[in-house]
Amino acid sequence: MVFSSIPFLFRFLPIFLIFYFVVPRRARNLVLFLGSIIFYAWGEPVYIVLMLFSTLSDYVHGLLIARYRGKKAASCFLVSSIVINLGLLGFFKYSGLNLPLPIGISFYTFQTMSYTIDVYRGEVEAQRNILDFGVFVTMFPQLIAGPIVKYKTVAAELRERHASLEDMAAGICRFTIGLGKKVLLANNIGQLFTKAAEMPAENLSLLMAWMGIAAYAFQIYFDFSGYSDMAIGLGRILGFHFPENFHYPYMAVSVTDFWRRWHMSLSSWFREYVYIPLGGNRKGLRRQLINILIVWSLTGIWHGAGWNFLLWGMWFAVFLILEKIIWGKVLLGMPKVIGWIYTMAVVLVSWCFFSLEQTDKILLFLKSMFGFGGGGLVNGEALYMLGNYGLLFVILAIAALPLGKKAVEWARERTQKNTKAAFALTICLDVTEKLFLAAVLLLSIANIVDASYNPFLYFRF
Amino acid sequence: MKKINAIITLLLLGGILFGLAVADICTPDRLFSEYENRILSAKPKFSLEKLFDGSYTKDYETYVTDQFVGRDNWIYVKTVTDVLLGKKEINGVYLAEEGMLIEKHEKEDINPETVEQRLMLLQRLTQWQEEKGTGTLRIMLVPTADNILTDKLPDYAPYYPQQEFLEQVKEAAGSYMIDVTNTLKEHREEPIYYGTDHHWTTRGAYYGYLVWAAAMNMTPTSYNVQTVATDFLGTLHSKTHWATAPDTIEAYIPAVLQETADNTASRSGMQVYYDFSEDAKDSLYEARHLETKNKYGYFLDDNHPFIRIETGTQREEAKGRQLFVIKDSYANCFIPFLTEHYETIYVLDLRYYRAPLFSLLEEYGAKGDMDILVLYNVIHFIEEFQYY
Repeated sequence: MVFSSIPFLFRFLPIFLIFYFVVPRRARNLVLFLGSIIFYAWGEPVYIVLMLFSTLSDYVHGLLIARYRGKKAASCFLVSSIVINLGLLGFFKYSGLNLPLPIGISFYTFQTMSYTIDVYRGEVEAQRNILDFGVFVTMFPQLIAGPIVKYKTVAAELRERHASLEDMAAGICRFTIGLGKKVLLANNIGQLFTKAAEMPAENLSLLMAWMGIAAYAFQIYFDFSGYSDMAIGLGRILGFHFPENFHYPYMAVSVTDFWRRWHMSLSSWFREYVYIPLGGNRKGLRRQLINILIVWSLTGIWHGAGWNFLLWGMWFAVFLILEKIIWGKVLLGMPKVIGWIYTMAVVLVSWCFFSLEQTDKILLFLKSMFGFGGGGLVNGEALYMLGNYGLLFVILAIAALPLGKKAVEWARERTQKNTKAAFALTICLDVTEKLFLAAVLLLSIANIVDASYNPFLYFRF
Repeated sequence: MKKINAIITLLLLGGILFGLAVADICTPDRLFSEYENRILSAKPKFSLEKLFDGSYTKDYETYVTDQFVGRDNWIYVKTVTDVLLGKKEINGVYLAEEGMLIEKHEKEDINPETVEQRLMLLQRLTQWQEEKGTGTLRIMLVPTADNILTDKLPDYAPYYPQQEFLEQVKEAAGSYMIDVTNTLKEHREEPIYYGTDHHWTTRGAYYGYLVWAAAMNMTPTSYNVQTVATDFLGTLHSKTHWATAPDTIEAYIPAVLQETADNTASRSGMQVYYDFSEDAKDSLYEARHLETKNKYGYFLDDNHPFIRIETGTQREEAKGRQLFVIKDSYANCFIPFLTEHYETIYVLDLRYYRAPLFSLLEEYGAKGDMDILVLYNVIHFIEEFQYY
């Protein structure tokens, strides 16, 4: 089931929430576990077995590692846990057997590995309650698309958590924002990228290529961060505090900065479980650069088995390394806008590798982006698309930057000294926020329903 | 204060989700959607097999979405937001100037191989004509609105330039072809295409008729124009649900025909046989369609595979003359213009009647000299012209 669907919003979610809040507190994990199983089985009735196997395997491994802590056996069990997790991931994702990829497998295998590693390191206690552990692995809010939650982040909340009314309100607001990002922004601009990608080479102009790749940049950001927002919001309603996953990535002024803002839960996972164990920056510059190359290659192939994802990761590694050894410091001294333009250029080109997948298509697109394509600099097709999507681009840009937040801060500062004005502002902002969120929710529903609009015109002729 | 704020948020957003969920569950299922003109999905039957192959949950999602409370309104809301966002087209239909809807046809949609094949079929027809034809063959392919009303399209809107194709037809069919492009362009400021439907209007067809009559060396007859509907919202409206003004449907009634109260025109001796039926109608028009959404069906009772019309005309020059029309629905409002020139008209719609064309032509041609008219719009011709 996906969040942005009528069955989830108007069947699964209301019924689940009623059960969850009606049962006694100690039964809530059971409801959450069963709900998650139904949620997963809805789309993957077969692979549910795989997820339950993974849960059971790491539950047992955690106990065994704890049991033999300090002994050689503990290391063996850790290796066995990692081999099983990576084995599952490798088999389904990289074996080339053309199996359908089990939904969420890249996320839940990483989550369970964080658990056994942290138990081995002695950072967390092994979980003895299999239900609590099951909830950690299968929890539906972040099961499908992250954020990647490390076990230690939620260990305490798995046993005991409390969602106040304020938590729940904040959660539903966050969910609504995420839904809007996915349905109103990502899906709508995605159509423009699809058109650009399908355009015959002789029609693809420079303007169209840049619009197309900018469309993709917005699509993937709002799609992915929208899902993260929905997950974080749903978690908040239930009393969980999941880590943030994005922090205005398109404001980044260097590639290093971009990776502090993009898919933060994955970067943080790789930092903690790969980069630092490899020595991080503690073993000299040469070793650090090699570590960067390794981590970003892995980040690349985590996204998929294609060579283009590897290239995508290594493309970033190259710029991260160059920033470390050559122009990182120089950039700091320059106006921010220069760093921003450079970063956006690197990121947009990277999305070509990421989205187009086939070599000839990527080359063709890049050719057009640099003005050597069949469509010249500007042509009618591009101008027509600009007319169709210009306003949406403006909205996307506003939504991708913290302009609203900045405006509110500015207004609050202006009224700080005047109690009456500050009160009026608060009321005004509260009302605006609610009307805005209600509108986002209603428009999202309209977009979801419209996606299935399918007029049959038998009288076409 | 914070608590109150939280409660209001929860009531508002939670209220929308829970309220709609309850309303949706309480609303009975609909069988058919007028809005989309299709049967909506019904609740799927459960079986373990369907559950495990994933088709049950998929069907169930389609069902819940199809039956969602207020479905038509939600779709309309999306259309309005698209228009507000400055979208120039909805579901393959351009939102053109003056509130007109114009169907979009892109060059990429036209398969060059199909074009070759259609031209070959035309050539086979002209060859047959030269060897066995007993009358005059005319081929009239009408450009669609985007090619005639090009300046009304949104800025830079792409369209398939049909003139290229018509030039190819000219090469393949030579003097048999009638090109109405220039005539239609001359009258482009008049309502020659509907604003909510993909057909040409009766007035557009009338200008086409004048070109045809000139090519046939015939004298066009005179007509009384009668308005039969003023509230026509056609196929393009169905695709977009966006229309600023409904269309008017006119009928050009030959002056010699009696005008009747129910918007059909008839005379004694006119007999219209649909699909080899024994029972004849006495009119080319079916007024009952004017009461439905599909008002264009008024002309020749919508679409039929085969029609035989005994026109009952008394004109001397029409005596004993036969015409065989191979057509799409553009011809439906055109054929009434022909009734003063022929005693018998056969109408064949190859999309519904997969006939061996030449044996039909030979069969009917045996009854007397017979002219032939091929009448399609360009797009339908490329998409649909096919015979065996």
